[in-house]
Amino acid sequence: MIERFSEIIGENELDSIFKIAEKLKGLSILHVNSTPAGGGVAEILSKLVPLMRELGINTDWKIIRGDPEFFKVTKSFHNSLQNGLGELPQGSFEIYRKWQEINGNELDLDYDVVFIHDPQPAGLITFRKKGKWIWRCHIDISNPYQPVWNFLREYIQKYDSVIISSAVFARDDLKNPQFIIPPSIDPLSIKNRDIPEITVKRILYKFDLDPGRPIISQVSRFDRAKDPLGVIRTYKLVKKHADVQLAYVGSPASDDPEGEIVYRETVQAAGDDKDIKLLMLPPNSDLEINAFQRGSTVVMQKSIREGFGLTVSEALWKKKAVIGGNTGGIPLQIIHGVNGYLVNTPEEAAHYALYLIRQKDIREKFGKAGREHVRRNFLITRELRDYLMVATLALGA
Amino acid sequence: MYEILEKPANKPFEFYAAYYPPIYAGFKAATIDELIEGIKKVDGFSIFYHVFHPLFSSHVVPEDMSNDFATWIRDELGDRLLAQKISDIEGKEPRTVENVREDLIKILSEARISKTANKPFYFITCKPVVYNTGRVAKSLAEFIDIIASISIRSIAYHFIFRRIIGYEDKNDFSKWIEDNYGLTELSKKLSSLDPQTYTDEEMLREDLLKIFEQELLSK
Repeated sequence: MIERFSEIIGENELDSIFKIAEKLKGLSILHVNSTPAGGGVAEILSKLVPLMRELGINTDWKIIRGDPEFFKVTKSFHNSLQNGLGELPQGSFEIYRKWQEINGNELDLDYDVVFIHDPQPAGLITFRKKGKWIWRCHIDISNPYQPVWNFLREYIQKYDSVIISSAVFARDDLKNPQFIIPPSIDPLSIKNRDIPEITVKRILYKFDLDPGRPIISQVSRFDRAKDPLGVIRTYKLVKKHADVQLAYVGSPASDDPEGEIVYRETVQAAGDDKDIKLLMLPPNSDLEINAFQRGSTVVMQKSIREGFGLTVSEALWKKKAVIGGNTGGIPLQIIHGVNGYLVNTPEEAAHYALYLIRQKDIREKFGKAGREHVRRNFLITRELRDYLMVATLALGA
Repeated sequence: MYEILEKPANKPFEFYAAYYPPIYAGFKAATIDELIEGIKKVDGFSIFYHVFHPLFSSHVVPEDMSNDFATWIRDELGDRLLAQKISDIEGKEPRTVENVREDLIKILSEARISKTANKPFYFITCKPVVYNTGRVAKSLAEFIDIIASISIRSIAYHFIFRRIIGYEDKNDFSKWIEDNYGLTELSKKLSSLDPQTYTDEEMLREDLLKIFEQELLSK
């Protein structure tokens, strides 16, 4: 399977992965996270683990278990680390410790290298018997709610290394090395691979969008951090000048109680404009997302806070000009004026959206640059190589 | 001259390559003074990362600024002239990261900017992960062919990294050519390329190959 990437990344790049993997032959690697499906981490691991095995490395993937109370706690940790606010269920720290102990006693953690993904299983470090342990943090921890961070930091400091997605998430209060490894997309997945134009049109028509008129889209949860109201305002400003349609494509998030409220607010802001489509697609609507991104004239990711925002890379890979919020990992993906525009306000977003709608040649130029930028920096093969390198360095191999 | 191309080398050239996983160096800078402090404090790998790593086009910098410091000064402090000066510091052989560090500090110390940036400069260092590419040149002919096709990571490792970080006083290519074939003129010409000023890896490869062509093929 890994050879299939050769025509995308080139033989030299692929060869480097094999050569670095040779250093880890015969060693065992374990990934641990909290869910087998749904969400970016599971998506990445479902690709990464088979690729590591294919390279001859004994790689396993294990999932921790917990009851709804535990996951309520970890969800509150997740939020408080990202938004700096503390709304924790009572007894959170005890509940967290209890489930670390249960999982620590149940799981075989005897591996040469153990990657622990995100805060949910971070406490397993207490049960290390051997090997090098690396905490892979997929979220923004630059401005956390301090009591939660202080609690987790006690565990995190015991790791040999930490991996963060962008330098802007780096912390000055950690002594362990913080590797900077952005996440990635799989260019061969249903969500990202080439699909026929007729499929794109079929899906747009299905959702009552007219492929013959400009479409602005944003693929995001209905979450205030993604600024859906700002997207609506942007559309309304553009609509004064151009016959544009808006597709805001989200999916329900069972672990996000705010989603429903934000959705209702967005519906209200949209009013009765028939050219605004607020869509709630079922999870795993990968083909539809692919089609919406490909069928858009301009793709937006107007977040006001963002972990990384891989939907940006997804759209850039499809040669789309993207307008993104100037936050989190988005500036790594969008180079202002080269493959898209970084914005802070709906007014700015509207200005650039209108410009891009009018300028087909600029869209094409940006699209080409965007795809190349993603090819070089945000494909799964690069992330695979980065993980191999961190393991190599941890082992001194 | 053509005979020398096929002449076996006393010692074949083994091509290695390297990637440099980035690691947060532990501090950031929002002003020129903090930037100077940071440059004084960081290790040589960090200077290499910020000044030479932009050669790789996977490390995104605008093409008119050849290092991270210059880009940040222009974009965040708004001083285009200072950015240009920092972009054009010399990285040619036999200079090392320590010479580059001295130049950076000298130029920045003379600057008069009181502005505080909205987005700080994050100091990053790196650790090289070196691997054997498996390719070996037993003659100059093979050497040229390999340079033309091998990963740019290998060229950068032998031509820039080992010399600029101070492991060797001369780039590996010039050294091998001189030791095995005594071609001092060719060796010198290769040494005279300044890798710091490149923001496109393939241009560096092209310029290296041009020197080989002029010195070995066209005479």
